[in-house]
This record gives sequence, structure tokens and C-alpha cells, in this order.
Amino acid sequence: MAVVRMPAGPTGSTGRRAPKWVLAGPAIFWYIAFFVMPILFILLYSLGTKNALSTSGVPVDVGSLSLQNYRDAFSDTFFKTFRATIRIAITATVLCTVIGLPVAYFLAFKVQEKWRAILLALIIVPSFTSFLIRTLAWRIPLAPNGTLSGWLQDWGVIDGPIQILETQTAVQLALVYNYLGFMILPLFVALDRIEPGLREASKDLGAGRVATFLRVTFPLAGPGIAAGVLLTFIPMCGDFVTAVVLGGADGNMVGAMIDSQFKGAQNWPLGSAMAVMMIGAVLVVLGVGAAMVFVIRKALGIRRRVVLPEVVR
Amino acid sequence: MTKRPEPISILAPESFREKLSRRSLFQIGGAAGGLALLAACGSDDEDSGSSDTAGGSSDTTADGSSATPAAGSVLAEYSNVINQAEGTIAMYTWGDYNDPEIVGPLAESTLGVSMKVDFYASNEDLIVKLEASQGTSGFDIVVPTGAYIPQMIAKGLLEKLDLSKIPNIVNVDPAYRNRDWDPDEGYSVCKNWGSTGWMWNKAVTGVDSIATWQEFIDVAMNQASGQTAVIDTAPNLAGMYFWANGIDWTTEEAADLDACEAFLVDEFAQHIKAFDSYPSTKIAEGAYTLAMAWNGDARQALVRIADAGGDPEEWAWGLGAPATEIWMDLYCIAAGAPNPDAAHAWINWLLTPEVSIQDLNYHGYNSGLNNMDALLAELVPDLVDGDMIFFSDEQVATMQTGAVNSAQERLVEILNKVKAKAAG
Repeated sequence: MAVVRMPAGPTGSTGRRAPKWVLAGPAIFWYIAFFVMPILFILLYSLGTKNALSTSGVPVDVGSLSLQNYRDAFSDTFFKTFRATIRIAITATVLCTVIGLPVAYFLAFKVQEKWRAILLALIIVPSFTSFLIRTLAWRIPLAPNGTLSGWLQDWGVIDGPIQILETQTAVQLALVYNYLGFMILPLFVALDRIEPGLREASKDLGAGRVATFLRVTFPLAGPGIAAGVLLTFIPMCGDFVTAVVLGGADGNMVGAMIDSQFKGAQNWPLGSAMAVMMIGAVLVVLGVGAAMVFVIRKALGIRRRVVLPEVVR
Repeated sequence: MTKRPEPISILAPESFREKLSRRSLFQIGGAAGGLALLAACGSDDEDSGSSDTAGGSSDTTADGSSATPAAGSVLAEYSNVINQAEGTIAMYTWGDYNDPEIVGPLAESTLGVSMKVDFYASNEDLIVKLEASQGTSGFDIVVPTGAYIPQMIAKGLLEKLDLSKIPNIVNVDPAYRNRDWDPDEGYSVCKNWGSTGWMWNKAVTGVDSIATWQEFIDVAMNQASGQTAVIDTAPNLAGMYFWANGIDWTTEEAADLDACEAFLVDEFAQHIKAFDSYPSTKIAEGAYTLAMAWNGDARQALVRIADAGGDPEEWAWGLGAPATEIWMDLYCIAAGAPNPDAAHAWINWLLTPEVSIQDLNYHGYNSGLNNMDALLAELVPDLVDGDMIFFSDEQVATMQTGAVNSAQERLVEILNKVKAKAAG
């Protein structure tokens, strides 16, 4: 039997090739250096105490670690803002889904090929403007002394000037407006990828339009909805610009609070503790959401399962 | 079943059909795009920051040219030295604090410098920014409030001034020089000083007069509840409570601070609509009916209301009483400034009477020059709302200077708690 020698691989010697994760090396390094390390620093700072006299540029003293900052962050006044932020973000995400789903459905199934690109562009092009400008622009239609307010009062729709600015409503509006594109696109992609044959088959087998949507289209779009929810909910939780520009005192959100701790109060440890709590809160909400979806699917699965009869030989 | 791609129809002569191909279109497009990019970048004078001008500062010619005023003019009594400079100056200052002409075309034509201006809304923001960048912030001129200067000097955030490059400093009223935060004037030059009060819409609130801080609080909690803006700095919000209750606003007594926190967080926070240091920007659009404001900002608000087609007569301004603050903002040069020579020349130019008065007329704060009355009579005889810029001696006697002391941290905590409580 002859010994067969393997041909030389990329490393130039026989046998071993470089491990496959080498290709991901730069990305791994980048994430560790610029994502994992800063998060670890934040965790470390959150356990430290404020040191206003530090000359190193970082006013944190990590000599003695304690959980005091977390106790402070859990105090009533701050926790209310956390709850408000999560509530606003969940509401805005649900609204985005409710508004985005019909649009994506329309684009994926009802629009001719040639118009699809143009309509998609119409949805994306507003994102070319700066986020800040889009948010600031809301101050114009919502201005209490503005033209829109004047018209609405003249037509008797409202009694006094528009009082939406500087409230949570304004923040909610602007969040839905700014992040709607991030919901429509993943939904559209998911719906577009559904084989047309599946929906036709459903129709052939006797399901009406609603039944087809609920039992075929919607479940198949599941991954798209999940992607859209992630892409909207997580940035909304940390959103700072909208709260500052439109929120006033009432629409305060966690992002603005963390900023004022880091900048105004120079209390990096407390700000870090809040940031860690926010990450935790987002994970908890997503976990609860995923668990709910899992339970619902299991329940529906049991109800709708098809039990094949035993084959008797 | 695939469709054949439809042919493109364009309006072009037949002869083009041979020459026009995808590749040639891309080439033309790419060339046109590249040309446009070059044109856009080429004409951009004020490119990124002052880092480019590191070489320029060594060429400044202090030719000390003077603008000779007319004989008999009061201007002749002032020093009018103007030094030329080069390059770009980056200034980090309060919002709407300089006449745009002075930091724009006038600076270019008179001094030869172009300016880049960034804004902050509180001294804490400024200090944090300078501290975090450790000398690399890229800013030449910063404008802190006097009470914060000792802290900044201790942290090494400011550069010593070379007063030989600021000969016009003799124009400044001695009362505003050598104050306790910078006794030998090593680091700062007076920009202007001002005070705090309130402005309110008489028609909407139905209130004709607000004479004291206690009345301000009452209106904020009743007629203007939910429509009130307060200044977004810790000392001002706490100061409102202290002045209304006859307490020195620099108190470090724990009992005073506790009472202040209890009142602001439990009773006052829910009536606040916004924490806004520049209510003038939003008053014109109808956002507030009552606002705590600095005097110059309130004056600008009246101008903006008129511009927006509203009626400035509906609004009234009141100086804080029975006590209020006197704050002074000063020009300083940040540590690690890229273009200190030009910065000195610009500060020096701002101290010439004509420029100083032009700036004063814009931002509405007293710029502290000698013999202000005579200057105004000559340069701006028709000054609008002068009572919002200049205060009588009795009024000045009620103004307290601020101090950054051990209570500062507690005050900032209180502010953040009020913000958290005011939300929903």
C-alpha cells in the first residue's frame, strides 16, 4: 500500500490548516477591545465611589468596592424613570409593529415588482437626514403658538393650544416616527422570503384570507418580527436625544438621566450603575418576551397538532 | 417565467447609441462625482478644528495697529490696540453669547482669524469636557463663571494669560478686575456680568406683578403650574428656594439643604415643565408662561417674541428679589489651546469699546467697561430695554456672588432628584 501524501495546504506544510475562527479574528478583537472592555470598565466603576479630586481624568475611586450605587439607583425617584422608559419603549415598539406590519405586507405581496424599489426608497430616504434634525423638526408642528395649533383651534378640534411638547406623548410620537423604518425593513424582508407557493397552497386547501394570514404568513414572518422588535426596542430604551429635545421635565428617560449623572453631577459610579441596570432591564424584558412567545407557540402547537393515525400492518 | 429587461429610452441623438454604454456612463458619473467632491472640499475654509493651525500661531504679527477714534469722542479715552492674528480659534462658550458678526465676518476682516464656536449650558458640562479630554479638547477660549475658576485652576484646566498681549484690559472697570477667584488676573478677563430673575406672560397667567421669589414660586405652583421653566443649573434652582426663604444661597448647613431638598422634590418638582437655561428659544413658540431666566436671555426673548409675530408687551421681566445672584463670566484660555496667540488677540479686541458695546447690545449683559454711561450715550443712544442690562446701585446691593463649596455636590444631587421626580 502506498502512503498517500496530502497536498500542501494554505499554511504551506502538510496537514494542519489554520483554525476557521481566524477569519473572525479582527472582529473578535474589535469587539473585545471596544465593547467588552468598556462594559467591564463600566461594571467596575459602578462598584466604586465618586472622587471629585481625581487628576487622572476619571473621577472614580475603585479602592473600596460596594453596591451602594445600585441601592441609590433603585431608590424611588430614579426607579420611576426606569419604569417610565421601559413602558414608553414597549408601547412604541408595539405601535411600530402594528403600523409596520400592514406596510410591510402591502409592500411584499400587493405591490408590483417595479414599484417596490421606489417605495422602499421612500421609506429609507428620510433616514438620510440627521436623527437630531428629524427630532427637532417635531417642535414645529407641535408648537403651541404654531400654525397647526392655530388651525386646530380655529376648527374647534381642540380648546387651547397644543400641549403635547414637553410630555411623554411627544417622546412616544417621535420614537415611533424615528424607528418605524427599522421595523418595516426586517418585516418586509421576512415576508418577501415566504415562498408564494405556501400561501397559494393554504388558499387551495380552503383557508380564508384571515386564516391564511394568521396560520401561515404571520408565523413564517416570526424571525422578521423578532429582528424588528430587537432593532427598535433596544435603541429606544437608551434613547437620549428624543427625551432631551422633546421630553422636557415630564418625558425624562434613562438615557438622559445617565448623561446628567456623567456630565452634570460628575457621578460616574452612579451613572455606571444606572447603565448596568438598564442593560439588565432590557435583557429581562427581552427574556420575558421570548418566554411568552415560547409558551404561546407551545400552547398553539399542542392545540393545532395533527396526530397521525397508527399505521396497522 | 422571466421577463426580458426593458430597453431604456433616453432623449439623445441616434449617434449616441453607439458611444453610450454602461461602462461609459459609470465613468462619466464617477468623474462628475469626484469633481463635485473636490469642489466641495476645496472651497471649505474652516476645515476641521484648529489642529491645522499649529504652525500658524508662530507667524502672528503684533503690529499693534490702533483704530484712532474721532477727536472729542469718548472713545479716545480708551485703549484701542488691535493685534493681528492668524488661523482658527475654537471657542467653547454659553449659547447665544456673542454677536454672530463678531465671531464671524468681523473677526475675519479685522483680525484675520476664523472662529469655530461650540456651546454648553452649565459650568459642570464645561469642566467635565475639559477634564475628560485632559488638554486635548481643541478649544482655545472657554468662558466659565467666576465661582468655578479656582476649581479649574487647581485641576490644571486653564492656561496662564500673557497680559502683555491684552493691553486693552485697562478699559475694564476696576470693580470687575482682580476678583477673589483670580486675584492677580493670571487666568481670566471679564466678559460680562449678569443676574437672574423671571419673565412671565401677564395675559395668560392673569398675574400683573411678581415682585419676589416667593411670589414666583406661588405663581409657578398655581397659575403657571405645568407651564414653568427653571434654569438647568443646580445653584439656580436651589437659590430660588434659599432666596425666597431669606437664606444665604451659599449655605453649607445640612438643615438648610435638607429643607431645600424636601421642598423642591416633594412640592415643587411636579409643577416644572422643563429645565431650560435658555427659555428665550422656546418662549416665542409658546412653550412656557413662566420662566426663570438670566437678564440677557429674557431680553433676547422679547426680541424673539416680536420676530415670531407675538406681542412682547404681554410679557414682563422681574429681577430676583429680595436677593438674587450676581455672576460674572470670564474669558479664559484652555490648557493645551492650539492657537493661544490668536486667542489673546481676539480677547484683546473684544475689550475695545466699540466691539464690546456691539456685543453687549446683542447678548444683553453688562460688559463691565469703564464709564459705561458715556460710552452708551455715544455709541448706542437708542438702547432697547436698558433696564434689563443695567441695574441701579440698590439692585446691585441685593446681588450675592456664588461660591462652589462643599454644598455643591449636594445641590447637584438635589437637581437630579428634582428632574427624576418631575418626570411623569
